[in-house]
Amino acid sequence: MAISKRYLTSLLVGTLAATPALAADPVKIGVSQPLTGAVAASGNYVTNGARLAAAEINENGGLLGRQLELIIEDNKSNPREAVNAAEKLILRDKVPVIMGAWSSTYTLATMPKLEEYGVPMVVETSSSSKITTAGNPWIFRIAPTSAMEAQAFAKNLSSFNPPIKKVDFLSVNNDWGLGASQEFEKMFKANGIEIGQKETVAPDTVDLSAQLSALKDTGSDTLIMTSGVEQLTLGIRQAAEQQLPQRIVTTGGSFPEPLLESPGPKGYTSSHLLFFSPWTPESAVHPEIAGAFVDAWNEAGYSFPGLSEGFRGYDGIMTIAAAIEDAGSTESEAIRAALWNVQVEGVNGDISFFKQGPAGKESGQNEPNVYVVQLKDGKVSAQ
Amino acid sequence: MNWKLFAIFVLVLGLLPFLWPDPYFLSVMGSAGIMIIAAISLNLLLGYTGQLSLGHAAFFGIGAYTSALMSLGFDVDIGFGITWQVDAKPVWLAFATAIVVTGFFGWLVGKLAFKVRGAYFVVITISFAQVMRMISLNWTDLTEGPMGMISIPPFSLWIPGEGLMNLTSKAAIYWLVLTVGVLAYLLIAMLVSSRQGRAMIALRENETLATSVGIPVTYFLALATIISAAIAGAAGGLYAHTVRIIDPDVFLFIYTVTMVIMVVAGGKGTLGGPVIGGLIFGLMPEMLRGTVQPEVQWVIYGITMIVILLFLPRGLVPAFYDFIAWIRSPGAIPERESRRVLATEVKS
Amino acid sequence: MAEILQHVVNAMVLGSTYALLGIGLTIIFGIMRVVNFAHGELYTLGAYVAYGMVALLKLDFFSSILVAALVGMLIGALIEYVFLRRKDLKNIDEVMLIMIGIMIVMQNLELMVWGGVAKIIPTPFSQDPIAVASVSISPTRLFVFSVAAVLLFVFYLGIERTRFGLAIRATFQDQDAARIVGVNVKRIYTLTFALGSAMAAVAGALLAPVFVATPLMGDLASLKAFAIVILGGLGSLGGAAMGGFLLAFIEEFGAGYISSAYRDAFGFLVIIIVMLFRPQGLFAAKERVG
Repeated sequence: MAISKRYLTSLLVGTLAATPALAADPVKIGVSQPLTGAVAASGNYVTNGARLAAAEINENGGLLGRQLELIIEDNKSNPREAVNAAEKLILRDKVPVIMGAWSSTYTLATMPKLEEYGVPMVVETSSSSKITTAGNPWIFRIAPTSAMEAQAFAKNLSSFNPPIKKVDFLSVNNDWGLGASQEFEKMFKANGIEIGQKETVAPDTVDLSAQLSALKDTGSDTLIMTSGVEQLTLGIRQAAEQQLPQRIVTTGGSFPEPLLESPGPKGYTSSHLLFFSPWTPESAVHPEIAGAFVDAWNEAGYSFPGLSEGFRGYDGIMTIAAAIEDAGSTESEAIRAALWNVQVEGVNGDISFFKQGPAGKESGQNEPNVYVVQLKDGKVSAQ
Repeated sequence: MNWKLFAIFVLVLGLLPFLWPDPYFLSVMGSAGIMIIAAISLNLLLGYTGQLSLGHAAFFGIGAYTSALMSLGFDVDIGFGITWQVDAKPVWLAFATAIVVTGFFGWLVGKLAFKVRGAYFVVITISFAQVMRMISLNWTDLTEGPMGMISIPPFSLWIPGEGLMNLTSKAAIYWLVLTVGVLAYLLIAMLVSSRQGRAMIALRENETLATSVGIPVTYFLALATIISAAIAGAAGGLYAHTVRIIDPDVFLFIYTVTMVIMVVAGGKGTLGGPVIGGLIFGLMPEMLRGTVQPEVQWVIYGITMIVILLFLPRGLVPAFYDFIAWIRSPGAIPERESRRVLATEVKS
Repeated sequence: MAEILQHVVNAMVLGSTYALLGIGLTIIFGIMRVVNFAHGELYTLGAYVAYGMVALLKLDFFSSILVAALVGMLIGALIEYVFLRRKDLKNIDEVMLIMIGIMIVMQNLELMVWGGVAKIIPTPFSQDPIAVASVSISPTRLFVFSVAAVLLFVFYLGIERTRFGLAIRATFQDQDAARIVGVNVKRIYTLTFALGSAMAAVAGALLAPVFVATPLMGDLASLKAFAIVILGGLGSLGGAAMGGFLLAFIEEFGAGYISSAYRDAFGFLVIIIVMLFRPQGLFAAKERVG
């Protein structure tokens, strides 16, 4: 990860400027993200967003009069490591609250530990509905569920020309990919669209040619792809190589960044469902907040397309910070209670939690906004 | 084997949770302990029988998955319309099944792999582990694939006065691992000093010679592999019910490499080797955590392993014993020194 | 029919790079009997050198492949000189473990330098696929195939027609006899390791633009290289080349018609099956393996 000198200087200056006013003991927030492995690109984006939020909070006087310190653990794109990371954060670093763990699979794996030790977690990316319906009162999700994503996409169906009549699916074969294809299938059927073929792929596969060949002659006009940045890029590239006739729509909020520099064939268009579009910041619910975030990101020297996921880390930390301020304490139980009352204006939009799940053990769920963009010849525009 | 030293060591380890009750420290010791058990099992094959089996993570993983599957119960369609359904079994039964099943796979791999020797053998064992990984990754009906198996039930023990207790506290897990570890160590210790053990060592030293004096090579190779695999399977089962989540990455080559480093650095073919190696390489990641990135740590381990292989090829434990012997007899002047003394005498 | 042709085309491209990878390992394994676990790391190194040259130094793609080969050669020679010289190579176990150590160090150095995120290597070729009927191939893949094929041919010429090649073949057949007739076996060892590593590096530099460069890509590459060596048989360079293409075909058609998910497993299954039924490989002369 490249940290520009300017960012380091501003962080240093900000910290030094704020230091005299702050007490010694920092407030700690744990972060569990995939910094290496199959989905490392996204994990790094989210973590950078989190860092920006922490820097901003510290510049403005910290939390409860103290410095905010992020303790970042790499869950290595693996559910077992996610459990290890959570235990390290809770037992060794004694964090009162965590943000994580990116993929639904890692989050689901972490959840029993949250209940065991009584530590709340703000879920910034995972979209499987199982997370908020499992009856875990320590979970608060700001990201949309796949069902919400599908519903939001339904509102965008008319923007596609030629209209979508029959869809295929290519999903990563874990909770996220499979859950997404299920929810989207339900939505498409409800809108009278035919379902073609469904293919799956393992998370670290780089050669998708077999799956793509199988999808070539299905007669569908659209292919819905759900996976991380790396696989979306490879999938789109290889689909173009094999001359797949379907137009490609990606879901889950990841953007195939490498295609900006190395675009597909001339005129090749793909559409992407995002939860924040840095190319059209004016469409955000709070353009000033979105704009300020984009500026801070660019100043830090992070890659521009990473904004489409980096905002999650930012919104997540801001949400936790609001809860801590509201609770006036760094006790896990107090933070958990306070999370129910947060009302934050984030980069994606307004954040607050409603109850979801079995009665008495509800988790918190937010209702975020969805944006659709189009990528053509290395340029992005609104769909 | 030095019984007094062993008893003291076990006593100290047993009292550790009272001396240092921090749950994080105990969980680190527990994980190190599980890897040590796996290393002890690998040592039987690698150190005593001289077979460089580099697919040992396969046995660890098979043990873990078998135990998890048996304790959760499963229901799969194995083609031709036949479903294989097993109800959830008590954890102890699942654990025992895992040991037996892994032993069986050990026998299977042994049969396969011992048709060839040397480098070919190594490659087959590695391939076996990779194939197991692919299967666990893709047979999602059975293993949940990359989503992993979660909510694996813990061990439970009947304690007089408390009834059936789930072994979930870090201290309880630590003691459980310690118990299995001591049992594994004792088993290996007794094995290598028995007739069977000596036959295995003869195999390692010179296979052709061993055959010529009538040692049934294949029989002992099979015995060694079965026991080695079974112990590794026990380690895997322990892992499944203490960490309570497993995924196909348990089959990764990197875990085999970790076990190999522990055995080789500690001293292959010695009883204490895998334990010392396991303690060092099991605890180093924790001690270096926070100060040094994991990638840098692994570079350090790699370099350590290379240095030990180049300069102390028998491992740390034998080198330590050599050092003790050297200290004990200060009267023994090294050869260079004696030549120098003689040379100066001749000159004058 | 078109689908079969498409698979054939894909297999030829992959096969050519696999052949390079496999021959590289065969000469090292065949001549020095070293189980080179670091072979996959040279492959990764080649990919990252290509990335570094193209993305960071803005060198053109073609020269970067050359640089990758040179770097591979250097590192290979270095490894042999520093680590393997002092070891009696008869200690197969210790040599293997040293190579594992080297693999760990190289892989994690790569992780430290480049980070864990996959890197895409920009190529100067257009992304428009070249299509004949409904069989298509991207210009990048076509280029990769051509370069690999040329290199294989050059290697063949080098081995068969030059004195150096003669020395290698002699050492391959019988070390001691080669020593007797005056071949400097020590130097051959270094050159062999260097050459084998260079081929792995070129294979990496060629394949990386087709897919992505990650620090962990070497793991799979090492094992596939072994599968190729075993398929083709140790005593045969031609066998290794054929083994490369054969593995690619097995993977392509296996993934296409049996199961796309088990694509990478076919290599390992092949190893196990060949070991069971014809341990000396498909193309080699008889050799004692057990």
